[in-house]
Amino acid sequence: MRYTSFTPFDLVLLAQGFGVTVALFVVTTLIGLLVGAALAVVRYYRVPVATQAILFLTELLKNSPVLVQLFLVFFGLPAFFHINVTPVVAATITLSANTAAFIYVIAVAGIESIDRDQVEAARVFGLTRRQVLRRVIAPQALAFAIGPLTALLVNQLQVTSLISVIGVVDLTKIGNILNLRTLQPFIVWTVIGLVYYVAAKLVAWLGSRLETRLRAYSAWKGL
Amino acid sequence: MIKAENVRKVFGTTTVLESVDLAINPGEVVSILGASGSGKSTLIRCINGLEKLDGGRITVDDFDVSKPKELAEARKRSGTVFQLFNLYPHMTAVGNVALAPVEVLKRPRAEAEREARELLASVGLTDRADAYPTQLSGGQRQRVGICRALAMHPRYLLLDEVTSALDPEMTAEILNILARLAEGGTTMLFVTHEIEFARQISDRIVFLDKGRLVVDLPTAEFFAPSGGLASPRVVQFLSKMRKE
Repeated sequence: MRYTSFTPFDLVLLAQGFGVTVALFVVTTLIGLLVGAALAVVRYYRVPVATQAILFLTELLKNSPVLVQLFLVFFGLPAFFHINVTPVVAATITLSANTAAFIYVIAVAGIESIDRDQVEAARVFGLTRRQVLRRVIAPQALAFAIGPLTALLVNQLQVTSLISVIGVVDLTKIGNILNLRTLQPFIVWTVIGLVYYVAAKLVAWLGSRLETRLRAYSAWKGL
Repeated sequence: MIKAENVRKVFGTTTVLESVDLAINPGEVVSILGASGSGKSTLIRCINGLEKLDGGRITVDDFDVSKPKELAEARKRSGTVFQLFNLYPHMTAVGNVALAPVEVLKRPRAEAEREARELLASVGLTDRADAYPTQLSGGQRQRVGICRALAMHPRYLLLDEVTSALDPEMTAEILNILARLAEGGTTMLFVTHEIEFARQISDRIVFLDKGRLVVDLPTAEFFAPSGGLASPRVVQFLSKMRKE
């Protein structure tokens, strides 16, 4: 057997890479959700200064390439602040921040999609701003946001492939390694692409199931 | 009692309410009549604190609605029913009615929901209690809206054109409920275009014209030639409404 041929162990490598991709995706998504939603709540309470600062930061994150952000964190932080960042830490910071910025926008849109009328009704019956947020706005905003949110996460899953550039051994990096060894790019990248495809489909499927559940109250079933 | 003194409200350059004085005593049913844009709804929105006053003072049982702490207390004493129902679409009828008792009055959920079902049953919605607002007709939605206000056991019921979005049949259905409440002694401030109905149930009728309260008379006097009908604006308004 020549060293260029595929071996069963390559499947283990593939699984490992996929595991790293999924782990980073899940962790950065959770952080992104938490941070993004928290920022939207800060905006809901119209905290002065903080709201403007959030707008500025999220605009930066949304309107610059993720790869540039990744380089800035991975190479920039050590050079400027003399902090050592491992590739995994740099990837986690960058992807979390990027996801948070987009989730912030979706969450704000979700909150603003709620009729002012119902909010007024709840206020008139004595609910505090916080109770209105929890009981009236949040459940509906979530139902509204779940579609765009799913689309975002499907995209962010693909974006994780960028972290292979700074040396995180994710699915794409494994593809790179296998490609260099076997010199069979068509087979390697087809398989890698398919794995991403299946994972993305799974995210989309989970999202649409959740959407059906959350929108059970609405008679509107879409066009 | 609800008391408005010298109330003034301005939107931009338009004065919507100007030197409005009004007092509603417990047990009274007071109807507010007036053309569209005369400030009727705004007056209700000032009483329940949805609009800030630009002058004057409104108190509900001596709680000043312009002070945040007192507003909370004032709001517990008055319930509002809205023209466009303003129900929470993600909650069932029971959920809509029980929300404020659970969140604001801290009532146990099971108890609040049981009472919500009783209230809904009293307006003929026994088998629609678990339906979402989108699955209800306009009249049914407004009945839920009334139950939602009653669930807080308010001393005062503020009704803001509650039948304007309904067809005549549904309107009759809602008016029947309100007539029953009025007979039961519920204090009501009733903004409406239903003149005949206002005449039947009101103790007093108030007429607003371009933000000013021009007539405030007991019902019989309001419709007497020497009373409300002495005002040309009232005559004009009534004849116009009757034509429609």
